[in-house]
Amino acid sequence: MTRALVIYCHPLTGSFTEASNERVLAGLRAAGAEVRLTDLYADGFEPGYTAHDHTEPAVDPVVLRYLENLSWCDTLILVYPTWWAGPPSMLTGWIDRVWAREAARRHDGGNENAVPQHRNVRRLVAVTSHGSSKMINLVEGEAGRNTLVRSMRARCHSGADAIWIALYAIDSSTLAQREKFLRKVELRISNLR
Amino acid sequence: MLVVLVLADPTPGSFSHHLSERAGAGLRAGSHEVIELDLCELGFRVEMTAEERAAYHGDEPICDPMVAEHVEIIQRADAIVFIYPTWSSGVPAILKGWFERVMVPGVAFRFDDRTGKVRPALGNVRHIIGISTYNSSRATVRAMTDSGRRTITRAFRVNTGFKTRTRWFGFYDLATSTEAQRSEFAAHVEREMADLR
Repeated sequence: MTRALVIYCHPLTGSFTEASNERVLAGLRAAGAEVRLTDLYADGFEPGYTAHDHTEPAVDPVVLRYLENLSWCDTLILVYPTWWAGPPSMLTGWIDRVWAREAARRHDGGNENAVPQHRNVRRLVAVTSHGSSKMINLVEGEAGRNTLVRSMRARCHSGADAIWIALYAIDSSTLAQREKFLRKVELRISNLR
Repeated sequence: MLVVLVLADPTPGSFSHHLSERAGAGLRAGSHEVIELDLCELGFRVEMTAEERAAYHGDEPICDPMVAEHVEIIQRADAIVFIYPTWSSGVPAILKGWFERVMVPGVAFRFDDRTGKVRPALGNVRHIIGISTYNSSRATVRAMTDSGRRTITRAFRVNTGFKTRTRWFGFYDLATSTEAQRSEFAAHVEREMADLR
């Protein structure tokens, strides 16, 4: 059975990202997946990487729970709005303090082989929306997409899939386009096996 | 010129802090006015709050006095220098948050009244400079495409003037570097900053 960890990141209720998240969860139910949901804002997660993070093992109970969830899942789904070409700072903080936590510390020891990987993660999924068009995002370098499909995927299971589900130009989109996107999200997630 | 150094590194005494000092020294030697914004030291809030997000598309998107102070500085800046360690190929969360919270509509860009499209608003910025340390090799960083560098030299760049120049100083393989390599790099940064025109 799929074990899906959903990381949801948006500060406001009623957002399009929240609607996307609901469709992700509906898709996972249809797929019969086991689900753990993390709502970074609701948890009051502190996204700032600290000097303590850099030298000591995790003690923050929220971080410890997040690390446990990360080692439990085989499918990691990030649901967020794209701001300044990438994930919000709140989600960037999850990447810095949870996803890459041990790597940053052990890298300083100079031993690349000691860097823990997330080999249990066989599928990485991003569900996001961009204010500007695909064209503008290409000019801007698609930092968020590259972070997911290159940098994060490199630390997963060697055969891991990276699935990018994105709505571009949401600022000038119609209601019909947004609804179509939400249907697509649910369908693609429900097809995960 | 007025040059703003934006430093994002939580660890006091780190190589990034040293590079920030050396860049500042070079700039002052080149008779530039320097303002350093050490985000971690200032206790800059990392994440965009619900209140800020709700206000983002309104008339008053700035809700925090520290953000207002940074906006005032950036609107006068001729050059901005970003200094940070690269982890996981991107900028640290606190620097990402700085873009989200300071570079709001009316500061970095504005929405065109007629078309709704984004228009640049930081024509005063003539130089965008990045100084970053990496724990990986240059080849690995290339393969991962360096999201942090792209965020600054591309996504942020489009909000500045037509002639704005970007420069990047990357120090790779930090963990296995020697003292001599680090000091040579720091001296290089200082010289280049002194020559900035």
